[in-house]
Amino acid sequence: MMNNLYRSEEASARGDAAIIVISLFFVGLLIVAFTSNPIATGTQPGERAPIFTAQAYNGNGWETFVFDDLLTPEWSPNSTGDAPWIAVEFLDTDCGYCKKSAEDVGNWAEQYSSSVWTGPEVIFIAVAVEFVADSSRAEIKEFRDSYEHTFAYVDDLDVDIAGDWGVGATPSYFLVQPDGIVAWNSGQASNSIGWDAVSEEVFSLTDYTGDNYIELNEAIEQLTMKYGGGTQ
Amino acid sequence: MNEYAILSFHAAIILFGVILMTPLGESVGGFLANKWPSTSTKRGRMLAGLMLVCTGGFTVSAHTLWMHNKLSEGTSVCSGNSILNCDGLIGNPEYNTVPFINQPWGLLGMVAFCVLLWIVITVAKEPLAFATPTFLKAGLGATIAGLPVIGLLVSYEIKEGLICPFCTTAHIANIIAMVSFFVLLRMYESDEWAPELKNTRK
Repeated sequence: MMNNLYRSEEASARGDAAIIVISLFFVGLLIVAFTSNPIATGTQPGERAPIFTAQAYNGNGWETFVFDDLLTPEWSPNSTGDAPWIAVEFLDTDCGYCKKSAEDVGNWAEQYSSSVWTGPEVIFIAVAVEFVADSSRAEIKEFRDSYEHTFAYVDDLDVDIAGDWGVGATPSYFLVQPDGIVAWNSGQASNSIGWDAVSEEVFSLTDYTGDNYIELNEAIEQLTMKYGGGTQ
Repeated sequence: MNEYAILSFHAAIILFGVILMTPLGESVGGFLANKWPSTSTKRGRMLAGLMLVCTGGFTVSAHTLWMHNKLSEGTSVCSGNSILNCDGLIGNPEYNTVPFINQPWGLLGMVAFCVLLWIVITVAKEPLAFATPTFLKAGLGATIAGLPVIGLLVSYEIKEGLICPFCTTAHIANIIAMVSFFVLLRMYESDEWAPELKNTRK
């Protein structure tokens, strides 16, 4: 009987200790939850775009490209300033649709970085992947030069960055806010959803062209001008 | 408040725990014995000290989880030009989550130190229980299992050329806990664990 009583007390000690520890754990978790508002890393509107570092061709040669360097973490919709937005295109140099849209993308890159554009500057970057057929840095260089693009082409032939960004087809476009939050993703089931940085909710973009598809330029014009535009 | 001032709170809890476990703890334990009589014995001081070490490890882990969340919001919490920089590690998506389960390291630390704390409190409440050596071995095993994890995190620090002082404090707490569990196990095997029983037997 004494033995049973003894064992019973042991169980009580474990139970008491468990109550103390579980309480402590949840108090800690609640303090963290109430004092922070974490943002997931991903490519859906409202998520933080995955950062990357890779080699990029900028017209003069291959140099290290750090996506993080383009970001302005202190940006807020109320103080648009001259912080640039970032348009990211994932392309394959062997993809027909990428070739077809290359001229438009080149024009948009010029248009949204020029002083004619009243909105904030948009920096374009292309991430070259290898989905369709064998590709190479020489092909990337040739593709960029043939369309007279002036923006950087990032080498992602090992599709490492594409994997992080959830890109399964090309061309895919993303518009990233200056603080690194994805504002628009062309690869969503409905690509007309943009991110409102003020209300922190998604909203529907207007389809100007009536083709039931939001192009990158439509997303840029609606999203970058949403907060009163910016300065060049 | 400066992040290092906050870090010193966590470090102070761990340091007090270490002091309690050392010979210095005998004089400190004298002050505590009125409120917590168990601290009048060496075993009691060791267990109380280990509880504080685990608590400090838990609070600093919770703090790194908070930092992880704040960094995802785009806020800087512990950056600087020196080698001591948490932002570059806790804010680096390549390193800031546990492989396979994809959860922040801070959360793993909170869970680990809670488990250790549960073991220590259970042993402290029932030091003469049959399961005590099993619990002490489990604690020792758990802290030893933490060593490869610490090794992995230190390798990230070496790779980035940065040191995260908050993470390092949690690592130190785990190592102190490991040594303490080892000492407690040795103590259990000796007469020091329950000298009162030894006297009774006489």
